Order: sequence, then structure tokens, then C-alpha cells
Amino acid sequence: MNKFNILTVALKNLKRKTFRTGVLVFAIGLLVTLLIFATSFTISVSSSLKKASNRLGADLIIVPEGARGFAEEFLLESKNTSFYMPQEVIERVKRIEGIVTTTHQTYLSSISGLCCDIVPTRIVAFNQDTDFIISPWLEKSFGRKLEKGEAIAGFGTSENLGLGLLDIEATLFNNRFSIVGVLEKTGTGLDNALFMTEENLKSIIDSGNSPIKKGEISIIFAKVNPGSDPDYVGRVLEGNIVEVDVVARSNMGGKFLSILADINKIFLITILLSSVLTVFLVWAIFSAIANERSKEIGIMRALGAKETHIVKLFFLEVLVLGLLGSLVGVFSGTYLSALLAGSFTLVKNISASLGVAEQIAIAIMGLVVGCGICVAGAMLPINRIKKMEPLLAIKEE
Amino acid sequence: MSLLEIKKLTKSFTVGDTSTTAVDNISLIVEKGDFLSIVGHSGSGKTTFVSIIGGILKPTSGEVLIDNTDICSLNDDLLSEYRNIKIGFMFQFASLLPMLTAKENILLPGIFGSNSHRNGEDKAIEYLNIVGLHDKVNSYPSQLSGGQQRRVAIARALINNPDILLADEPTGDLDEETEKDIMDIFTKINTEKKVSIILITHNTDLAKMSKKMLRMSHGKLEEV
Repeated sequence: MNKFNILTVALKNLKRKTFRTGVLVFAIGLLVTLLIFATSFTISVSSSLKKASNRLGADLIIVPEGARGFAEEFLLESKNTSFYMPQEVIERVKRIEGIVTTTHQTYLSSISGLCCDIVPTRIVAFNQDTDFIISPWLEKSFGRKLEKGEAIAGFGTSENLGLGLLDIEATLFNNRFSIVGVLEKTGTGLDNALFMTEENLKSIIDSGNSPIKKGEISIIFAKVNPGSDPDYVGRVLEGNIVEVDVVARSNMGGKFLSILADINKIFLITILLSSVLTVFLVWAIFSAIANERSKEIGIMRALGAKETHIVKLFFLEVLVLGLLGSLVGVFSGTYLSALLAGSFTLVKNISASLGVAEQIAIAIMGLVVGCGICVAGAMLPINRIKKMEPLLAIKEE
Repeated sequence: MSLLEIKKLTKSFTVGDTSTTAVDNISLIVEKGDFLSIVGHSGSGKTTFVSIIGGILKPTSGEVLIDNTDICSLNDDLLSEYRNIKIGFMFQFASLLPMLTAKENILLPGIFGSNSHRNGEDKAIEYLNIVGLHDKVNSYPSQLSGGQQRRVAIARALINNPDILLADEPTGDLDEETEKDIMDIFTKINTEKKVSIILITHNTDLAKMSKKMLRMSHGKLEEV
């Protein structure tokens, strides 16, 4: 294979104007950085919300009237909130047409020094007989059911509590609990809670330190009949039981999604304006390149270069520029996303993160857009130079 | 059969209301191994004439026949192939690409050919030897003198074994000694490689070194 080819000429062309090449790479890099950052932010938040609501496994979430926001804060944002309703609501919910099964949970907040000897954390008491929220993770991580006097830590809680992994004793509301394990990561707000079975609640209530009263629960999770529309069943439920609010799975995180939609618009406008600016910059620079190289192009045409060779030469230069700029943008955008994730409340509160496949897809999109912007900007100058008569191009000064 | 046959070739330029005929009804036959020189004043139409023969300018009328094919009727791709295979060009200015070394400049026509790998580095070095620049293989044009650049341009024009070398005032800005060196190379390749040469010059002394001298005046060509 001949080592000297059109790519060699293209690379040498780029090398001879290092500053100009650098400016273009930098401009494309900036655009792709912005794109990667914006896309990573948006996708991580929206997909984390979707995954979290899917992982809960319930079609409907039923909470006391006015506590809809608290429930989302508890389940998605890991915030310490308490809200209660009478346990008898469970039976009324079960009677609504379309409801197949329910389970319920009760939430408590520990307060360091007042009730408990661990750092403030959220406590979730669940009914082990009816549960379909915690049990799948419990089975996977622990392999057996929880006994009375045992608690298991959510994935994030073990870090927050500063615990080792197993066999730690803690006092919660005057009751000794053995923390027997750590759940796998769920990607929901439940990662930051301590779980125990409902039978422990009686002892906690009897201690007198907790805000909860006997016969109260915080939340009911319900599954609906596969043929039923969860939104419709939810509306019926709210109509029949006025003292509850219902959140359907599809509406989970609605508050975040509306904020995200606004942020998306800002990102979109910024990216569009930056893209136009970059296309213009590439066009201006390649127009200058086409003018200054017209004599060289004329010489190449006289030596036998076809229009396609000239197009190929310029396209290779454009693609190398686009690829270099895009790679810079992909790395800096990904780094920036990781670096700044902690400083965005929206991202931090819902533990938003991206999977490897999502990151790869975003990187590929960045490469394609970066190269595409470059090609779009250079298209007109390339088209003009390829059509020049060889003799006219040679005489052009 | 002749190598090149030019029939009633005319090229007119119109600027505003004024029409100028740069090449006026020229007919010419060039045989293999010919070495023609065309002399004439500036603006007599010499460059326009060789540009049409070289396929970088379309005539207003007439035919340029090579292998019984009129190159004026070829589409852009075929015309490019014609320039790549049949013609070697030397311009009246330093025409090397500045970012390529002497060797790479010589290899340049090869990458535009349909059989691009035919010109290996060895062949480029062989042609650098022919023009006496075997020690300048990796030199850039900026590191070469005007005369050395012209010699590299000769090697580049010959690398694809063309039938005709078109040299448009190739020694215009060179000193006498270098002019003579260049002419010696032309004579050598004409004699040894049987490459037909059409040399444009306004220097009649140089033109006398060719086998046949023609004069161009007001677009007309006449034998001297």
C-alpha cells in the first residue's frame, strides 16, 4: 500500500496552519462539550425518574391528601418527610374496581440524640406479607425475610450512617436493632432509608418518642388490573376516597419533569445558537482556505485531480477537524457532567446517573453532531472550489 | 498516426462588449518524440494555446485529437484522466505544493490516477536522480532554490510517463546557467524517453535548442 495518499495531503494541510486548525477544533470542542453536558444532564434526570418510578413496581401511589409532593420527595429525592393516614384506608382502596393488590409502608425520621444513636436517617416500616416493593431487593441481597429486631440498610444509607456492612447494633426509639445487611442499589430515594418490618412499629410507638400513632400508615402502593388504565383508576380512587391523593406511575416526578422541560428549552436554544455560530465559523474559515488554496487546487486539477479528489481532500480535512473537536468535546463534556453533577440539586437529590450504554450513545451523538456541523459549514466553500475551472483557479490570487 | 492533432482551434474571450481572439484557427500536428518551441510576445496567446492542449481550458471551437479522441468533448472525469496520464505540466511559476516534500510533490499525480499505487517511492527517487536532486528527497519547496523547484516540477510532470510535456515558460525567472540546465534535462528526456515536448518561451535562444521553433502572434501560429 502506498503510504502517500490524499489523507496525507489533508493532514499536512491541517498541520501547516496549526493555529487555525486549533481554533476550529476548540470551537467544535466547545459546542460538543455543551451538547454532551446538556444531553447527559437531561437524560440522566429523566431516565432516573423513569427508572425510579418503574422500580417501585406500583401503578398507583396513594398518600394522605396534600402529601403528594412529600411522597415524591421521599421516594425520589431522599428527603426526610413524614405524613400519615389511617390504616383503614387500605381496605377502602382494595374495594375500588381495577385495584388488584396493595401494600403499604410507614415512614419515620430518626433524630440523633433525641430518639436514636445513629445519624438522622429515614426509617421505612413495611408489611412483609403483602410487600412487592422491598422484597425483590431483600431476596436478592439478603436471601431471607427480616425478623423482629432486625433492620436492613438501603444502599446509600450504609454510607450515610457510617456503618460497617453487617451486625451493627443501633438504638432506634428505645429499641435495639441489629442491622443485618445492605440492600442493592435501587436507584430510588429508598436507597437512603433503613428498612424494618411492620411488627417493629408497635414497640416504637410504645416507646412514646415517635410522632406516629397506632393504626397509622404513610403510603399505599397499588397495582391495577392489566386491562385497566392506571390514570382512570387513580381518578376513580380520588373521587371515592377524598382524604387521599393518588399519583399514577406515569405522573411520578411530574414536578421535576416540568422543571426539566424548561431547562431543556434553554439548552436547546443555546445549542442551536452555538451550532449556527460554529457553522458560520467553519464556513468563514473554509471560504478563506478555498481562496488561499485556489492556485494549489488548480495545480492539482492540472495534474489530473478530478472534482471528486478535491472534494475528498477537503472532506478529509473537515472530518479530521470535526473528529478531533468532537473527541475533545466528548471527553470534556463527560468530565464536566461528572464534575458538576454534585452541584446541581436536581441531579443530586434524585441520584441521577447514566449507564455505560447511555454514555456511549451520547458520545456517538456528540461525534456525529460535531462532524456534521463541520461538514455543513464547509459544504458551500468546497462546492465552490471544486467547480472552478483549473486555469482560472491557477490564475486566482 | 500522429500523437496529437489540432484542428482549427479557436479561443475567444469576451469582456463586456469587447471580444478578443487569443487563439485564432490554429491547426498543428505533433508526432511522438517532437520537441517544439513556441515563441511570441506576452499576450500573443501562447499560454491559452497550451492550456487548451493540456485540457485545463475549453476552446471556443476546433478539435484537439489524441488517439483519435477529441479531448474537447470529454466530460470532467475523462478530461482529468487525460491530464493525469497523457500530459505533463510545467507552469511559469513555482508550482510545488509548499507543505509537501520534493518526493511527495513528485508522487502527487500518482494519487489522482486510477492505479494510484503504481508510483512507488522508488520511482519518485529515480526521477529526482534524473533531474539531479537525489539529495533533496525530503526537502520542502522553501528549502529549494528556484532552479531546484523547477527540476522537481519536471520530475513531477514526468512521473506518470506522459506522451506530451507542456512547459509554459518554465525558466522565465531563472538565471542563464539554470535555464541551460533545465533545457539540458528537456533535451535528455526528449531523446531518451521519447517524450514529446511543447515549450513556450519568449527567449529565442532557448527556443533554438528545440527541434522545431514556431512563432505565435495575435493568436496565429507560424513556423520560423
